[in-house]
Amino acid sequence: MRDEIGEIQASIADYEVGKKLNIAIIAGPLSGKTTLLGEIERINLSRATGITFSEIVRDKKEISLPDDTKRIVLLDNCHFLYRKKTGGFDIFYEFLDMISTQERLFITTWNLYSWRYLNEVFGLEKYFPVQVVIPDFEKENLRFFILKRYGKEEIKFYNDKEAKEEPFIYVAKYPLELSSLGRKILIPVPKINIPYLKNRLLNKKETQTIEDRVFEKIYLESKGNPGVARRLWELGLDYPRIKPENIGQFSSNIELEYEEAFVLSLILSYQTLKKAEISDMIGSTLKVDETIFRLLTQELIFKDEAGFFRVRPEALHSVVAYMKKLRLVW
Amino acid sequence: MANGDTSAQQLLESIRSIDTQTLITMFLVFSIAYILGKIVTILLSKLSDKLSQSGRVKVKLIIPVVKFVIYIVAFYYIFRQIFIIFGTELFLLTGILGASIGFGVKDLFADFVGGIVITFEKPYQIGDKIALGNYYGEVTDIGLRATKLVTPDDNAVTVPNNLIFNESVASGNSGASEMMVVIDLYIAGESDVEAAMRILREAVVSSKYVYISKKRPVTLLHKALPFYTRLRAKAYVNDLRDEFKFESDVHTRTWIEFQKNGIRPPQLHILNVPPVEEISE
Repeated sequence: MRDEIGEIQASIADYEVGKKLNIAIIAGPLSGKTTLLGEIERINLSRATGITFSEIVRDKKEISLPDDTKRIVLLDNCHFLYRKKTGGFDIFYEFLDMISTQERLFITTWNLYSWRYLNEVFGLEKYFPVQVVIPDFEKENLRFFILKRYGKEEIKFYNDKEAKEEPFIYVAKYPLELSSLGRKILIPVPKINIPYLKNRLLNKKETQTIEDRVFEKIYLESKGNPGVARRLWELGLDYPRIKPENIGQFSSNIELEYEEAFVLSLILSYQTLKKAEISDMIGSTLKVDETIFRLLTQELIFKDEAGFFRVRPEALHSVVAYMKKLRLVW
Repeated sequence: MANGDTSAQQLLESIRSIDTQTLITMFLVFSIAYILGKIVTILLSKLSDKLSQSGRVKVKLIIPVVKFVIYIVAFYYIFRQIFIIFGTELFLLTGILGASIGFGVKDLFADFVGGIVITFEKPYQIGDKIALGNYYGEVTDIGLRATKLVTPDDNAVTVPNNLIFNESVASGNSGASEMMVVIDLYIAGESDVEAAMRILREAVVSSKYVYISKKRPVTLLHKALPFYTRLRAKAYVNDLRDEFKFESDVHTRTWIEFQKNGIRPPQLHILNVPPVEEISE
């Protein structure tokens, strides 16, 4: 994320010489926008005030800034500032008024799908001329991100006993999201084991080929999304051991009624929603229980300890493909 | 005269020479083409339902083309057989056919030509919402002779293809999966128009059926009339099949919010309609 931090710091430097351009950090769920904002706050500790919205904001007081607020304001999870319903945009109007009338520089984070929706409806990009879209992680970055929590050689990478020798050619299943079909499919592709070949040709002892395969599978399945990658790692890890075969590949064949799909699109766009918030937005308490039950049984969402519903990380790419098929997210 | 008699006799001889085998073959070719056309339609329709809205439109686009290709191949085979049988008398047969088309089946022929024009010129496609003649509905099939529509009341209407030559066709979506829907609401003249417009806008943009993009914006219009105010929202429904659900959804949620904000519908007394008690007296 070095480039993104550089871009944000350049905008902060411009602000210090009188050029105020608000910043929007945009990313899909579990992509690390809060981490990036935390890093920006750490770098600019003396001149920045950070505010995090952890659920939908209903009270205008929550967005009013105290007198001791510093010149740079960091607002995390700004997708919680609107409710997708009639009469649900009052806080959002206040927010737009605040950022356009104050002298402070606003650095905000947004869920990608909420941003796209709000941008089409309210032209949000006019208020945030600098938009930083968090890119997907590279394979090596994912490896570092996952292994940084463990000591050196704490994790043991191993293969099945009957497959001690690495195969010269093996089949890798490439996940492909087809929004036209509304699902993620796995395409088997034969792959040449280049590290193995190198080791054989150079008469070296094989070193990291199993580890490489573990992270290759994680990288392909997660599409470089760190949150999804971590979840796949946790599901495959039999501490302290892990093997490539334990890294799961997930493809959900989603079949939902339109109202259920709409609720799923809300959960995707807000990242975390309580049942009451869903009821409020769809305007029906009767349908919510049935809908949530359907989404839970299809293993598309889960309920966290705080009572919020979230999209399952391993189902994220399937859900996005399905939502794009229905054009419930843009 | 003698020549005419000879030609007629030769034609009659040719007709007599047609064996049952050839007739059955021709009938079978036509039947196979018809069945194949139906199968292709069913399979492609099923496939299109599995795809995204834009994919659905693209697949439905090729259904009439495939059907016409099948029929043209079948007709080519049948005409070849006829040519083999009649040879030089074909011109005489064509004359007779021409006369019969001119007098008896000219409408059927016009329908067939209309079908070809619809398939290749595409004034509308399968999946479009069109107004054709006195009918409005979704195009479900474009055949050789007629176009099938399903009206909002779920009536299946068969419209002859030749109508496109003398009726104007209005297509609501022209091959796109989204379609503009115009929603009118009427409120009392003394209402707070600004608040009403804001509520209507929020109801539209938060609807589960709406589709918004740079090219498909939401437009709100307001017109003050002598006794009431008309609010008009122009927005695109995500899937044209949800046209009426979208309209109903926006109406319902807007009026709920109007009531909360004291925005009322036009009052009847301004139209000089006497109260109900007076009418009963």
